[in-house]
Amino acid sequence: MKSAPFEHHQPTSVGEAVSLLESLDGPTVLSGGQSLVPMLRFRLANPDVVVDINGIEELDYLHEDDGYLKIGALARHADVEHSDLIAEKYGSFADAAPLVADPQIRNRGTVVGSVAQADPKGDWGSLLIAHGGEVVAHGPDGERVIPADEFFLLPYDTSLDEDELITEVRIPVPSEREGSAYHKLKRKTGDYAMAGVGVCLRFDDDGVVESAGIGMTAVDITNARASDAEDHLEGERPSPDLFEEAGELAAEQSHPESDEHGDAAYKERMVDVLTQRALGDAAERAGVVRRTVNP
Amino acid sequence: MSETREITLTVNGTEQTIDVEPRKLLVHAIREDLDMTGTHIGCDTGNCGACTVLVDGEPLKSCLMFAVQADGSAVETVEGMEDHPDAVDDLHPLQEGFHEEHGLQCGYCTPGMIMSGKALLEDNPDPSEAEIREAISGNLCRCTGYQNIVKSIEYAADKLADGERDDAEAVAADGGVAADDGPAEFDGYDVDGDGEFSCGAENCCGGPSTDATHRGGDER
Repeated sequence: MKSAPFEHHQPTSVGEAVSLLESLDGPTVLSGGQSLVPMLRFRLANPDVVVDINGIEELDYLHEDDGYLKIGALARHADVEHSDLIAEKYGSFADAAPLVADPQIRNRGTVVGSVAQADPKGDWGSLLIAHGGEVVAHGPDGERVIPADEFFLLPYDTSLDEDELITEVRIPVPSEREGSAYHKLKRKTGDYAMAGVGVCLRFDDDGVVESAGIGMTAVDITNARASDAEDHLEGERPSPDLFEEAGELAAEQSHPESDEHGDAAYKERMVDVLTQRALGDAAERAGVVRRTVNP
Repeated sequence: MSETREITLTVNGTEQTIDVEPRKLLVHAIREDLDMTGTHIGCDTGNCGACTVLVDGEPLKSCLMFAVQADGSAVETVEGMEDHPDAVDDLHPLQEGFHEEHGLQCGYCTPGMIMSGKALLEDNPDPSEAEIREAISGNLCRCTGYQNIVKSIEYAADKLADGERDDAEAVAADGGVAADDGPAEFDGYDVDGDGEFSCGAENCCGGPSTDATHRGGDER
């Protein structure tokens, strides 16, 4: 037997799950399990109690509602990958979904679980940051909405309380002149990112950048915001020069570590390149520019 | 040892009820409790895909879920392929493809490759090479370089498409009743003269075995 023994609870409603989290000692939430199960198997995680939320049907959704794209805690990566709504309106999510791990893992792993895992190499956190997204948690005191910027604290550590359950992540529905994209560099198909950049650009009627969001993957201790690049873009008209400058600023603000896949200087250079590519895609998708330069 | 729980799985169409601890991985339940060792354990970390099975039609890594989580589900493993309606002469077209196109060398990844291939062809009967490569991107092979695995799945796609065409023609010719074409020609080894494929090795792919119920799997 690979894992240490644990008590396995299978609640069927959010309310039941939250009361279990409140009453049990040191519970761990199991959703897709594509990270947690290997951790249990290696005994890197040894919870006495596992609250398995896969039976909570009310959390299985991916839809627009009340001005948000809402992704419920049981929406799998594959649900995002195969969604017509995502393909039509959410460029960055459509880019990212097929780049998460491999088909089997996408069939089981969840977007919310990946966000909750808070691996700095996870892709979805960067998109929540880029889009100004939020994490919705339920606890004994009811619902709490946590902005993405306040959610990720350290690798695998978030501002979620132990008795809280993430029920949903959400991003605002894009406005008409908005485009987004995600670019990811990985050593081979299925790998985690060596570096990844998600961007969301909103333009005004004159084609000037009204707001820019840039989230970076695997180049800091958490998914991180490239705020200097964002500030540089806002109020400007898109151009290859502008995107080049933004790429440099994003690279400067990244803090990658050297490892067997590449040294820090190389990864910073990749942040630069990926930022430029993602900005180009986002501006094109917003219908503001036709790409003339493909860096 | 924690308490066990009774779960029911429909494995390759047969309902099976077993008692498992919550911490038992699905792959261990399949191999150890159900004695179906066709599903392999490779890396045990979710990387290699050798343990891929279909759960309610979707390819999943059975080392990345607990058996209790599959309670009530339909599970398909490589052992079910020879009994599949598309199978001819004890081999599913995918298995035949791996044989014909030399889609395996050591064979360790093959059960997972076949299950990923099955899920692909059910969803997309006429996949491009890129689509095949994407579908098996969660399955690692250290021998073949993948070329022949891709060809094997292409072989199966062609064979299944031919079968459908034949069925449609037969239906048309017979005024609605599908004809039975009978078993196809088979040119594999036949060491024990019973007309069934075997590679000749003991306890392998249907060769001489003390327990003949586990064709297609190893017996380790």
